[in-house]
Amino acid sequence: MSTPPESRQQDSPGRGEGGRQDLAALLCAVARGDHSAFETVYDQLAGPVYGVARKVIRDPAQSEEVAQEVMLEVWRTASRFDAAKGSGVAWVMTIAHRRAVDRVRSESAATAREQKVALGPVSGEDVAELAEAALDRQRVRRCLGTLTSLQAESVTLAYYGGYTYPQVAELLGVALGTVKTRIRDGLIRMRDCMEVTW
Amino acid sequence: MNLRRDVLHLLTGAYAADALTGAELAEFERHLHQCPSCAEEVRGLRETAARFGMATAIASPPGMRRQVLAAASRTRQLPPAGRKLAALSAPRPDRRPRPLPRPVIAAAGTAAAAAIVALAVLQANTQHQLDQAQARNRAIAAVLAAPDASVESSRTTVGGTVTAVISARDGEAVVTAARLPALPGAMVYQLWVIGAADARSAGLLPLSSTGVSSPVLAGDLRPGDHLGITIEPAGGTAKPTTTPVVLVTAEA
Repeated sequence: MSTPPESRQQDSPGRGEGGRQDLAALLCAVARGDHSAFETVYDQLAGPVYGVARKVIRDPAQSEEVAQEVMLEVWRTASRFDAAKGSGVAWVMTIAHRRAVDRVRSESAATAREQKVALGPVSGEDVAELAEAALDRQRVRRCLGTLTSLQAESVTLAYYGGYTYPQVAELLGVALGTVKTRIRDGLIRMRDCMEVTW
Repeated sequence: MNLRRDVLHLLTGAYAADALTGAELAEFERHLHQCPSCAEEVRGLRETAARFGMATAIASPPGMRRQVLAAASRTRQLPPAGRKLAALSAPRPDRRPRPLPRPVIAAAGTAAAAAIVALAVLQANTQHQLDQAQARNRAIAAVLAAPDASVESSRTTVGGTVTAVISARDGEAVVTAARLPALPGAMVYQLWVIGAADARSAGLLPLSSTGVSSPVLAGDLRPGDHLGITIEPAGGTAKPTTTPVVLVTAEA
């Protein structure tokens, strides 16, 4: 259901202070077919959506394709976003990460999965978003430093590598059960370190 | 709480990182609906994973914004699911065939198109095959959803029907067959793109025991090309050696 939390104003789904707070309200507006709200959502999240696709898939052309599919999925399924069950960022990034890993786990992508260098010029609008991402990166890096190396490797191979946990176990040469718990306790430690409240 | 449940609970992290697949994923998702504490933990870990994602932000390619906004203006949105049906998690794209949004695939075609997608899914029974099928489905779905997709259906001279969904704009076609007679073990049905000058193989039509083929994608179609099926020795040939049992004109 698409009821925004009471603290958010439904009639002004604009960009809030810091850029991201109003995402839930924006998504509700998108669910009602509001194109300008969708543009704002796009501007807030296209960078991370494309970024996560590039991180997992590597190939720029395939990453762009996946990022486009994700943004269109956000438009199409915005009515299924439920602000009571998680943040808008988590909802969109979950779609993005799943699409990206689905792509690399398909045979055709596996052969084309090689790193290529390519990036368009960075426009003015990108800068604010990229600065915010740099802060996020710093925080993620700092908190990863508080994990054991096995926790950190398990979590990053799973999320950034797009590997299944049995693949992670094989890559690290440890038992399945070990990886399963290291991904979980690694993420729990990251959650607490980054003070994720939910 | 039993042992199995405790073991399942440990999968919250792998689930939030999308590192679960197949039967284990399905089992965990069923478990989530009955385990509020797991669901709560997944929520927090998913928010955490999202921070990992946000940290990867880079400038998206120029031109992508315009394309996405244009595509949105052409795309109908899903209605609300209602509280009861609302899934616990975000939708899982690509785990079911995409709906076919185009009215272009007319009445006769809709059934054929649905059958094509269903077939591709049904014939996958390992994860590897499923992954391959998903990639193929994407390509097939793209043809089926093309704005100019047209459906051509023809009877073959040996019996049965061949159906082609053709996008002239993309130069691609999806071909499938029904009720084709079974061939002796040493023979196969082979699909060709036949132009004015030559014929190029588009692959074999794998037949099930009921004479239904899984869909085959034929690319690089040019106006005036035909799609033809011949009977060839097992493994197929480089050029057709027999008269086609059916010819479909590729131009829409």
